[in-house]
Amino acid sequence: MGAVSQSSPPKLSDATKKVHQHYQELARTKKLYSFLTIGILGAILVAALWFANASNSGKFIDRIPYFFDFVLNFLPDDPLEIFRALFDLPSPYADGSLKYDYEEGRHYLFGDFYLPEYFYEMLVTLNIAFVSTLLGGGIAFVLCFFAASNLVGSKAVRFVVRRIMELLRAFPEIVIAGLLAAILSLGPIAAIAAVSIHTIGALGKLFFEVVENADMKPDEGLRAAGASWVERVRFAIVPQVLPNFTSYALLRAEINVRASTIIGAVGGGGIGEVFRLSLSRDHAAKTYAIILLLFVTIVAVDQLSGWLRRKMVGDQAFQFGA
Amino acid sequence: MLKLQNINRRFGDKLAVKNVNLSIASGEMVGVIGQSGAGKSTLLRMINQLIATSDGAIEFDGTKVSSLKGADLRNWQRDCAMIFQQFNLVPRLDVLTNVMLGRLNRRNTFSSLIKSFTEEEQLEALEALERLSIAQTALQRAGTLSGGQQQRVAIARALMQQPKMILADEPIASLDPRNAKVVMDSLKAINEDDGITVITNLHTLDTARNYCERIIGMAHGEVVFDGPPEALTTEVARRIYGAEGLKDAFSESMTSTSLEDDNETPAQKRRGPYRDADEAHVTLN
Repeated sequence: MGAVSQSSPPKLSDATKKVHQHYQELARTKKLYSFLTIGILGAILVAALWFANASNSGKFIDRIPYFFDFVLNFLPDDPLEIFRALFDLPSPYADGSLKYDYEEGRHYLFGDFYLPEYFYEMLVTLNIAFVSTLLGGGIAFVLCFFAASNLVGSKAVRFVVRRIMELLRAFPEIVIAGLLAAILSLGPIAAIAAVSIHTIGALGKLFFEVVENADMKPDEGLRAAGASWVERVRFAIVPQVLPNFTSYALLRAEINVRASTIIGAVGGGGIGEVFRLSLSRDHAAKTYAIILLLFVTIVAVDQLSGWLRRKMVGDQAFQFGA
Repeated sequence: MLKLQNINRRFGDKLAVKNVNLSIASGEMVGVIGQSGAGKSTLLRMINQLIATSDGAIEFDGTKVSSLKGADLRNWQRDCAMIFQQFNLVPRLDVLTNVMLGRLNRRNTFSSLIKSFTEEEQLEALEALERLSIAQTALQRAGTLSGGQQQRVAIARALMQQPKMILADEPIASLDPRNAKVVMDSLKAINEDDGITVITNLHTLDTARNYCERIIGMAHGEVVFDGPPEALTTEVARRIYGAEGLKDAFSESMTSTSLEDDNETPAQKRRGPYRDADEAHVTLN
């Protein structure tokens, strides 16, 4: 095996021996820093968990035996009640109270054909998520190029655009929705505005980081051909970043479905609102019907976005190997 | 002895490699030539099993390489080191670590993951780098080196694998003539001094003629020539490159490794690059 073998001790020149010494010094320093970092992080984690437990109203360990109490005491009259609630079918337990008024929520579309209440509310929620992803994503798409340091030389422009994005994503959707509800009144419009605003900030940051990682050679090529800034962005950058943008936008769409559900619970309309009502009124069948619908919807949205990403980004990105 | 028997490779409905039969003895230096798209890369990648064969069998010393799986497959891949046109190093890691990564297959995974390499491995990696005259770059990030230096790092990594065979896929296609010569000389030296089989894809005729004792010509996925450089007549070259491509093959040869003074003996040619290490890039930090 000649020079590179384990049997003969390697003979290195003095210069290379020096390089080796230097490498070992560097490796030792790195190792020391790694151990220190891990040790400090571990200590912080232990302290933080202890603090969280100490400031909890009940002690975590003491509460474990009561873990299943809620589920055990919160049961529908019979399992079929969940499906009657889900599809707005008459209940045999009906006593005129709100607990069994499943048929009341029907949304008649034509003739006897109706959309069950929770499906309708789910649509309201999905609509909020869809519209705000499109609006927020669109604005983020335009803004992100002005925040990218490889495209915009002016520090001032980047600074302003980045601070705007930070401001927009600083507040959770639920806080923005609360503020906007005072102006736009309760309902889906306030929810759309809230989720869109947060989406601009969140997607804008992800987008401009993708742009900053783009290969600048195509840009140089087009600049040498006399293309303007907008033209270079359009033809050198956008084709490169679009697959990643699509992935992030679809991920954001999934997150927005969950966000608009939560906003519903504070008065944004949609499935979240009816969920909060049924839970606080102790209507077990309705609550489980909504949980079931939410679960199915979120799985469906994930599948759909995976499929869309495949279609839009192209199959080759998912193929294994060369 | 490496044996390829009736190898086919399909991509969709396109046949990239057609019915290839070859046997290559240990210690040979083989050049595979042909136009781009002739199936050279696919052939090399099938030997390393980066790509599976569609039909046929690849055998090495009696082991059917083309049906290996798991650890056996990885052991085979370690034994036939691969060198790429675009070097395929990890640009953000330093040169020395890149070279030591050639050892991954022979080491404990956990100690590899925490980048804990033994003193012996460090010295071996440095020795391999010294052999390729780039030991002084050992602590730089691989991505900051010039193309020729990166390809030499890739060769050092291949040596670290302690391979039985080196497969080089267009190793000099991205390099300038001087660096191309350095890289080809290094491969030739490894072939002669260590007795390691070298199979290299080249798209220029003269490089193959200068360095290889056996030339395999491919066109449209098929082997159309297999013999010593002397047998490679203009007539044969036309079969390999086509009437159009022939002119390119010769004109491209001007930009490959034909830089050296013709008065030098082949042995001097080889020692050349080791003598004048890239002094310009030497940095000791």
